[in-house]
Amino acid sequence: MAVVASHQLAQSITAHAWNATLTMIAVCPNNSEVHIYKGTPAPDSVWEKAFVLKKHDQLVSGIDWAPISDYIVTVSHDRNSYVWSFDGTQWQPTLVILRLNRAAVSVDWSPKENKFVVGSGAKSVCVCFYEAENNWWVSKIIRKKHNSTVTGVAWHPNNLLIATTSTDCKCRVFSAYIKGVDSKINPGTAFADTKFGEQIIQLDLANGWSFGVKWSPSGHSLAYVGHDSSLHIVSDIGPTPAHQTINLRHLPLRDLLFLSETKLVGGGFDCNPMLFEIDPKRGVWVFAKFIDEAKSSTHDLKSSTLFLEAMGRFHGQTRRGSHEIFETSRASGLAHDNCITCIVPLISAGEVNGQEPGAKVVQAFSTSGVDGKLVIWSFSNITELLAKLQI
Amino acid sequence: MADDDDGAPVEAEFVETENSELIIARVENKTRQVERLLRLLQYTEALQIALEDAPTKTRDERCKSANWVLVHRVLMATKDVDGLLTNLNSEYYDLLMKYLYRGLATGDRPTCDQCLRLHEKLTQIAGMGCIMRALADTWNVV
Repeated sequence: MAVVASHQLAQSITAHAWNATLTMIAVCPNNSEVHIYKGTPAPDSVWEKAFVLKKHDQLVSGIDWAPISDYIVTVSHDRNSYVWSFDGTQWQPTLVILRLNRAAVSVDWSPKENKFVVGSGAKSVCVCFYEAENNWWVSKIIRKKHNSTVTGVAWHPNNLLIATTSTDCKCRVFSAYIKGVDSKINPGTAFADTKFGEQIIQLDLANGWSFGVKWSPSGHSLAYVGHDSSLHIVSDIGPTPAHQTINLRHLPLRDLLFLSETKLVGGGFDCNPMLFEIDPKRGVWVFAKFIDEAKSSTHDLKSSTLFLEAMGRFHGQTRRGSHEIFETSRASGLAHDNCITCIVPLISAGEVNGQEPGAKVVQAFSTSGVDGKLVIWSFSNITELLAKLQI
Repeated sequence: MADDDDGAPVEAEFVETENSELIIARVENKTRQVERLLRLLQYTEALQIALEDAPTKTRDERCKSANWVLVHRVLMATKDVDGLLTNLNSEYYDLLMKYLYRGLATGDRPTCDQCLRLHEKLTQIAGMGCIMRALADTWNVV
């Protein structure tokens, strides 16, 4: 596992998303614009800004790029959402009327890309779908249950269930079945007869605001993080779920990603992605290691620089900004200097030893954070992985 | 407007799960055990008894204060901070950290000195996550 490439794209990045062929990346540099760069995760790739999407009035808080339809959906603090489609030369926006009276904070395309879900500060969740007769996107709002801002949203692989996390410290699973959009569900599937907006389960495991939530690749498990430095993994969603809470030794996480059914990676305030896996002997999730290795600097040097920094701060000198304060207390040499807020999978490849045959394991992912860096991580040679992708 | 406190837990009604008198009686019972253990110089055991069943879920301030007085007694009686913490069961780390912050909040010089010493050692053992949990948790306050 290594850092493949690191790109300083802005002073701070709010969110990012890759296109299906990993040739373009959409990034929000902490303002109301979305910048699309032409570039690949390969280490020798030179990134150049190709498009700037300017339609939102306020901070763009979430971006997702649909791999099949190539639509980009963006949501912003201005309570709007746009679905962008490429017409050959330009990205054309389509306004989606979310009918929110507070900021939209998170967004996720459904696996079939016929719907997307938006979490908002209005304590509600919008599920939007395309209405062909009127050629626009309609939003259906789930207003119940949430007591505070919905920070994270994620679709179950079955295209019907959504998981949401909120600053009321809970994680909930709802049904997002929409008549007319979703074909009749097999009566045998779990939650087959649930109506839109019906809450399947509410998880009250964290004691702090909960942020990133993700489903495992099969949809069997769900994981979310809490601001009280905890990670919760729940399986068998239903009346009697099995859950496990990991109280971290370190600072809280902000986002996470399932690499496979048994491995997951989380990124947060330690600026270093953490790998968690299922301990084969005990069958429980454990913290495995930090993925990034700090480049070693001699300890005496570090302590004298720390002392000088402290003296400098005491006398009121600041160099570049408030990021400085964090830099000195972290081991320098990590890829990220500040909190990681977004982790996106890049390439899933076939089996790795120990996995079930055919099960895809995420081999590479990218992280972005408050330091404005976009870092690519890969378990194996990324150029080989990219080559396999093109075929 | 409904946009007052983003993040504060909205509880429908808070139900006192346990009678305050029962809690205070339990604390008094624990006090006897703790005094005995302190005389036997078994500080870690004394601390574990004091932390066990701490009244975090109740809203009654008297119960919380009663347990705090007991925990405080053990913390101040301990001379060997390292020994106290090395043998402490890890399930009590988060709870102890909350009590340490309560101690630091008193402003009383000897209490703060001892709590600061304990805080340093506990952070080395339990990590920053422990501090995060002590600060972020606003339901189970000691």
